[in-house]
Parts: sequence; C-alpha cells; structure tokens
Amino acid sequence: MTKRLAEVILLLGFIGIGMTLGLAFLKAPSVSINAFESPDAQRIFYWHVPAAWAAFIAFGFLFVGSALWFFKRSDLGWRMHVAGAQAGLATGLMTVWSGMVWGSAEWGVPWDWTDVRLNTFGLLTFLAMFLVLGRQAQPDGVETRDTFSTFGLFGFVLVPVTYVATRLWQIRHPGPVIGGGESGSLNGEMALILLLGAVSFTVFITGHVLMSMRITSLEQRLERIQEAKDEV
Amino acid sequence: MSEALLSLNGVSVRRGSSLVLNDVSLDVASGQLVLLRDKNGAGKSTIIEVAVGLLPLEKGEVLHSGDVLIDASGRSKRPKSAFGLTLQSDGCVGSLRVEEHLLNALDLAGGRVDIDPWLERYNLAHRKHDLIAHLSGGQRRKVAMLAGLLPGFVGQAPRILLLDEPAAGLDAASRALLVEDLHKLRNRGNAILLASHHTDFTACATHLLTENSMETNEAFEESKEITDDMKSSSQKNNPAFRTGFLLNQRTLSTVASNGIAGFLTLGILLALVDVSAADSSLMQASGLFLSAAFAAGLVGDNMVSMLHEHRALDWWKAHRQGIPNSYIHGLFLGAGLTALTQLGFDANVSWPLVAIGGLLTISTMLMVRWMDLATSRLARPRAAFTRILTPILILPFALLVQWITDSGLL
Repeated sequence: MTKRLAEVILLLGFIGIGMTLGLAFLKAPSVSINAFESPDAQRIFYWHVPAAWAAFIAFGFLFVGSALWFFKRSDLGWRMHVAGAQAGLATGLMTVWSGMVWGSAEWGVPWDWTDVRLNTFGLLTFLAMFLVLGRQAQPDGVETRDTFSTFGLFGFVLVPVTYVATRLWQIRHPGPVIGGGESGSLNGEMALILLLGAVSFTVFITGHVLMSMRITSLEQRLERIQEAKDEV
Repeated sequence: MSEALLSLNGVSVRRGSSLVLNDVSLDVASGQLVLLRDKNGAGKSTIIEVAVGLLPLEKGEVLHSGDVLIDASGRSKRPKSAFGLTLQSDGCVGSLRVEEHLLNALDLAGGRVDIDPWLERYNLAHRKHDLIAHLSGGQRRKVAMLAGLLPGFVGQAPRILLLDEPAAGLDAASRALLVEDLHKLRNRGNAILLASHHTDFTACATHLLTENSMETNEAFEESKEITDDMKSSSQKNNPAFRTGFLLNQRTLSTVASNGIAGFLTLGILLALVDVSAADSSLMQASGLFLSAAFAAGLVGDNMVSMLHEHRALDWWKAHRQGIPNSYIHGLFLGAGLTALTQLGFDANVSWPLVAIGGLLTISTMLMVRWMDLATSRLARPRAAFTRILTPILILPFALLVQWITDSGLL
C-alpha cells in the first residue's frame, strides 16, 4: 500500500478534478449576462483557478527543493526540485491554456503582453519548462543541480510578484476571488465547487510530486548500480 | 619558509556525481615549483582550476597571497595580483591572432614585455600575425603555454603561475626550452603549480604532490645561474573590451546573428503591416519601430558562444577582469535598426527613439548574455535551453512601449 500511495493519491486527485469539471458544466449557477461578455466561458474558472492554486504549491516545492539542494546539498531537496518543476510545468500549462481560452471569449484576445499577472505567471511556467527540458539534456551532477537550483531560487521571486500583481497593477486580469474584498465575493454553490476543485488539484499535485520524487529516486538508484558495474 | 603565495586549505570538490578532490591542502611559496604528477583522473586539472577559482568548493578555501580567492560558502574575490594561467584546453579563441592573445595575457597581468624574442624562441615568430585557428595543435599549445608563462616576467613582484599540461603536444626541443624558462621564472620568485606527466619537469620541481601529499623533490637540480634580463613596462588596458571589439570587427558576429534577426523582423513587419498603421495609434507605432531592435537583442551576445571554443570563456572568467562583449556593436545595431524601421514606415526619424532602440538592444542582449553565462558551468551549456526564458523580456518591452506612448515622445 505504501508503495502505491502516490498512485492512489493521484487517482483520487483525478477523480476529484473530474467531479469538479462535471459540476462546473452541469451544476454551477450561470453568471449574470451583465457582468460577463461571455457568461458560458466563465465556467472555465472552476478549472483555471484551482490549477493556478496547484501551480503555486508546485512552485513552492520547487523553491524549497532548490534551497535544500543549494544550501544543504540534500538529495531529498534535489528530488523535490525535480518534482516541483515537473508539477509546476503541468499545472502552469493547464492554467495558461485555460486562461487563454477564457481570455479569448471574455476579452477578445488570448493574451495581453502589458498585464503583469499574465506575464509573470506565464514566465513561471516557462521557467518550469526550462528546468524540466534543461535537466533532461544534462548529465546529473553537482554542476547541473547547482545551476538549475539557482534558477529555481531566483525564479521564486516571481511567485509573490504574481500573487500581488492584480492588487497593485490590475490591468486586464481580474482581482482575487477569495480575500479580495466585496468585488471578489462568490455565492455559496460557486464557492463549494471551487473548493472541491482546489482540494482535488491539491490532492493531484501531492500525488504528482510524490510519484515524481519516487521516479527520480529510482533513477538515482539505477545510476548508482550502473556506476558500481562500471568499476568492476 | 616564506609566506605562501598560493594556498589550498582542506579543499574538497565534487564534479558530476563524484568527489574529485577530498580535503586537499597545499602551499606554494615564492620560488617554489610544485609538480602535480598523479595518474589520469586523479584531479590534477581540478586542482589547477580550483586554484584560480573556476570551480565551487564543497569544503575549504583557496588563498592568493593570504587573501581569500574563493571559499566553500561561495565567497569569491578578485585577486590583488594577476596570475598566469594555461588551461588544459588552451583557452584561446581561434579568431584572435597569436600576438593578440599573448598581449591579452600580459595586459591582464598589468604590464607588457617584448613578445618577439619569445615567439622566436618557440619558433612562432612567422606566425605572430596569424589567426590561432590557422595554427597546428602543437603551435596552439605553445601559444597557450606562453600566455601562462609571460605574466611571470611582468613587474618585480612574484606571481602565481598555474600551468596545466603545458607541454602536451610539444616536441622534445620545446620541452627543454620550457624547462629552462621554468627555472628562470622560479628564480624570479614566482610560485608555480604545474600539472604534467612528462618526466622532463622532475628536475626543475622543488616539490612533488602525489596522492594529496606534498614532499620535497630529491631530484631537484638547483640552477641559480639561469636568470633573465627581461624588461617590462606597466600598462593599464582593458583587454576584455578590446578583444570583444576586435572579435566583432573581424567576424561581424553581431551583424551576422543579432543583425539578421533584426533585419528579418523589419522585413516581415514591412511585408505584413500596413504603413498607415504607424499613424493610427501611437502605441502601435512605437511598438513597431522598436520591434526590430528588440528582436536583435533577443538573440543574445554571440561572444559567449564564440568564447566556448577551447574553453576561452573559462580562461577569461578565471582572471576576473571582465569577459569580452558585443555591447558597442549592439548599441549601434539597435539604434540603426530603429532608425531604419521608422524610415521604412515613412515616419520622421525620432532621435530619442533611436537612442532608446540602441539601449533596448544592448539591455536585452545583456539579460540573455547573463542567462547564457549562468548556465556556462553545465556539462552541455549549449543544451541548456536558456532561450525558453527570453519571454521574461517581453513584459518590460511592453511597459517601455506604454511609457513611450504616455510620455508623448513620438
């Protein structure tokens, strides 16, 4: 069971995400036609916001992992860095893609290059892509780990910038839906589906990170065995 | 014993997944020549690279003349006195001439000596004005070796000289000359750390370092009579700037890489965008006029990839006196592209915008160059995909365009 823990958590996450999608399309109340250009597209919100939430958790893993490797030379830290980058790429792409679809319907353009929130989040996703692709192209070693964990540490600066962007420089992206004052209030049913989405994505990201860390650990074990065989 | 010019204190270094150096300590004082002669893979080159601060330390510290050069916490400082360095991979760019590379090594040391007798001595005089790329492997090695030796003849103060396999590929006659020159350098009081398999150097080494333990060399032959009468002059130059400028003039690399990207962008804009668009919106116009300059900057500084040849980048990095760059050419290219774009769209040339275009190219180049340099330590720096991060520059570009529009500059 312990060995299968990651798979079980991941499966639970997928089920939760599926339920969120089902509820978003079938149960969630329609929004006012006066408040939105494209009220139907608003349902993407139940995917977009939880995916962004999960991406921030993944980037948190990436940062903690990068710091643990950089300052403590911890193997566990490096596994967290790898897992955080992969999970950040997956959830970051989910957020960006769903946001672009929603933006096309609501604003008439998929992207606004002058919006700080859109760009810093997009950049975080590109950072995750850089870390994932870059690491795969390099042999494992301290040079690779030092370089990519440095980028992981620098990149994390973007997380608080992204978080406060809509509060400080609201250009096109809307402000926070929770904790953003009256303008961000949700009705009960909407909040419940959003909560289910957030929990499901959190479970999903936890399973994703655990599984990724296990795979990295197995890769490292395989490498040690190969090195031992090389020396024979 | 006099104070050590070079000290490695309890140094441990990891490369890849293995610990290459484990708790290595050594001192090299003025007038000493320490020979590293372990077998292949024992870490001789790593010791040389650690001694110039090219590799991060797991433990310990490296001191030059008692001052910390680099330590395990990542603290790193430019040494007070420049050193001579020959890397195992030559460290010279093929597009430089023999004379230019040697003068760079001397200028980094803060002075000049006449290089002609040295080129004559090593049978390179007829190659003085040739590009290093046109030399044979052995000749290139002689140039790299001289670049490591000559700083030892600059000024009166003793220097540290670090020579990694300086005799690799050299014939017996050249090796004999090198042994003689090492005696001269040692007699001048320089502290020399030499890694080599050749037995020729055993006689001129005062100490041997084998398997992390330093011992006095019983076979050392004192040769006080081998001296020199080299005269040096002190010079204040900026070899990194000069080399960047020279390389750009010679290879036209900024025009060939950044320029092409800028001109292509300009061509595409002129082909696809209606000329009247430049009049319809100020925001659109300033964005259009600066696009080519921005695209040129996004290519980065081609100098970095040029310096990857024979590890020239590491040679420059080790000296900590700047790395050749293409900023001047980038500035003019960006300004020129911005002016051309305005003319292409039948607009009056706005000179402040032209200046902004030049600065935009140079600052964009600078950011991309930083990303390239930050990944230069990787085993495969060209497979690091740093260009994925270039979208970070689009937001500042968009904000700049917004600012130009709001400020009424156009």
